[in-house]
Amino acid sequence: MKCALCEREAADELCVYHARAKERVVSAFSYWKEAYGGLGWREYLDRIKRNPRTGQWAKEVAGFLGGAIDKKSS
Amino acid sequence: MSGYTLVVCEKPDAAKRISEALSDGKATSASANGVTTFRFRTRGKDFVVCAARGHLYGVSDPLAERSVYPVFDAEWYGNDLVEKRATGTASRIRMIKDMAKGADRFVNACDYDVEGETIGFNILRYACGGKERGALRAKFSTLTKEDLVGAFDSLEGQPNHGLAEAGRARHAIDFDWGVNLSRALSQAALTQGKGYRTVSVGRVQGPTLGFVVDRETEIRTFVPLPHWSVTGVFEKDGRRIEAAYHKGRLDREADAEEVRRACTGRLGLVGQKKRGLVQVPPPPPFNLGDLQKEAYHAFGYTPSRTLQVAERLYLSALISYPRTDSQKLPPSIGYARILRALASQSQYSKLASALLASEPKPVQGAKYDPAHSAIHPTGEKPARRLEANESRVYDLVVRRFLSAFAKPAKREVATAEISVDGHAFSLEGRRTVEAGWLGYYEPYGRFSDAEFPRVEEGERLPVVAIRSEEKFETPPGRYNQSSLLEKMEREGIGTKATRADIIAMLGTRGYVSGVELAPSDLGASVVEILRLRAPSIVSTEMTSAMEAGLEEVETGAGDPKGLLRRAIRAASEQLADLESNEEAVGLGLSAAAAATQAGGLVLGACPVCKTGKLRVVKSKKSGKRFVGCTNYSSGCRASAPLPQRGALRAGAPCRRCSWPVVYVKTGRFPWRLCVNPSCPSKGEKRREVRTV
Repeated sequence: MKCALCEREAADELCVYHARAKERVVSAFSYWKEAYGGLGWREYLDRIKRNPRTGQWAKEVAGFLGGAIDKKSS
Repeated sequence: MSGYTLVVCEKPDAAKRISEALSDGKATSASANGVTTFRFRTRGKDFVVCAARGHLYGVSDPLAERSVYPVFDAEWYGNDLVEKRATGTASRIRMIKDMAKGADRFVNACDYDVEGETIGFNILRYACGGKERGALRAKFSTLTKEDLVGAFDSLEGQPNHGLAEAGRARHAIDFDWGVNLSRALSQAALTQGKGYRTVSVGRVQGPTLGFVVDRETEIRTFVPLPHWSVTGVFEKDGRRIEAAYHKGRLDREADAEEVRRACTGRLGLVGQKKRGLVQVPPPPPFNLGDLQKEAYHAFGYTPSRTLQVAERLYLSALISYPRTDSQKLPPSIGYARILRALASQSQYSKLASALLASEPKPVQGAKYDPAHSAIHPTGEKPARRLEANESRVYDLVVRRFLSAFAKPAKREVATAEISVDGHAFSLEGRRTVEAGWLGYYEPYGRFSDAEFPRVEEGERLPVVAIRSEEKFETPPGRYNQSSLLEKMEREGIGTKATRADIIAMLGTRGYVSGVELAPSDLGASVVEILRLRAPSIVSTEMTSAMEAGLEEVETGAGDPKGLLRRAIRAASEQLADLESNEEAVGLGLSAAAAATQAGGLVLGACPVCKTGKLRVVKSKKSGKRFVGCTNYSSGCRASAPLPQRGALRAGAPCRRCSWPVVYVKTGRFPWRLCVNPSCPSKGEKRREVRTV
């Protein structure tokens, strides 16, 4: 199957690179939450997406995870 | 003339210098088919000096057919049969064969390192009819008359040929790996894709490309962590003094806010001022890697350019042999003699004379090379006007050499704390009190100074503001040619002689681009596919293990045939893996190759057809790059020439003609170019010049 975010092959929904980016996005959340004193998941995703230092694949993953929240809530 | 000594040199310039040095300038030269030889008689013996032009022999398989693999029956052939570009090799080999017929003594006077030994060994074996065994060796580190005469006064036989055996084994292993795997990858791409594309990979090239791809992955998956820095702003006599919060980085916004709240509007008490002196020793003498890194920082020269320039300086007898790992200057080079000679060159006169006031003793680095000392000037005055890049590298080498003999620099560090209601802020000042070696290494070595503010212990200073700044971690930077070379050195892959060429080849192959090296789709795919299907090719461990094996061969402790057998076995295993996955490998590579081909740097909108985009295209016929429109197939013929050298970066469109602007970086600073050959601004510039 294809990666949900690019043309690469993926064993699961994401290719190895986007899967690695997802790992880093998820693991950094607890740090951000503590740093800002109770930041929410959605707000966190928005902030890292806007941050110019966030890597391209991490931004794509943040958008993807944010989109998944939107789908669920609609 | 018969019964003479035939001296085999690595390069024509070296042959000329050796002949001049040994004959006191009385050597006669003769040229035939573009090959020059030198003859002279000295101390009752006749000499004939001939030269190679680098490697005259190379490794190939008997078929040399690009689609055939695996080939493990590699042999040494004249380079004219191995490399298309090796023109003139056949006539050079013929000339040496002719000269060898009348010789009764043979001297290998090629550079004394692995490559030089290999070049000389092959010539003596193949062109001179198996004379490598009894040949004598001339060992020298500079091409000065004194060194060369000394080397020929102490010619010695070679009990073993460890260096040459290691060099030959390296070439054979690189062939077995590089050629077979490249052919396998190219064939896979050809079978599955629509067009042929050479996909090359090598034993050192693979892991090096892996470093670039891994760094890019690190950058693209990077998530920055936030932190805060707090600065206290105090006032004294109408002047503002800034001090950093002593804890440095704060990980929570609330902590930064707490400091701000607690300190705003209070008074700060200046604590005890502490002063300390720090001695900074001179940097170690240059080995090749250090010279390449410093020349990159100082002048923006790529490592391969620096090596080329350094070799020219060596062949002009201005510096010692540059392909060295050594950071040591042994007394045998003659410290005082070189310093005295430099003192006679006006630009170094003052500095060198000052060092001669006491007995010169240089600082030594940790790295050692048994064959050569660290790179140093010979002291000889340039006999010709040096080109700008030669002059720069020469100056860098001389100043580094001089600084090695100078005293350490002394730096004063002053610190004090300002405490505000239990929160401490740090004041710091740094300045150079004794320049020491810095005075010799200008303008290449510098420290930044920060003045310590004029405050006294016990003073109370009002807090004007507490500044809290939200910051984010930065992703690691991309490698440039210098830092990638450093990484290769650290990981122990490649040799001092080959690293720069391997980095340059990654660009030539279209695997990486830019001054900050970013992998192309093709480069990333090659690494991705190989990691999946043939991981040893891109593994540092495999390459390092081979390097260790080659080092053992160099010292005479290793068995080159055994090492070669191990390398062939490892390459065969990787080839089998690739073959069994040919379809997947081929599809991945051909798609990436197509994406790389189509995805040249986009410069901006096409001002001619208004719908396409102008991008950098490489001509399949000439290999030259130019600007073309993405709508070419629909009839848009907008195109423009481009400089063939330098990294390109797109800029904002030209204000005069709205064609794209590119910044071309060939040296330290990029230059701006509107790609439109008919841009009105260009006419204006020409007219301005005429008016002046």
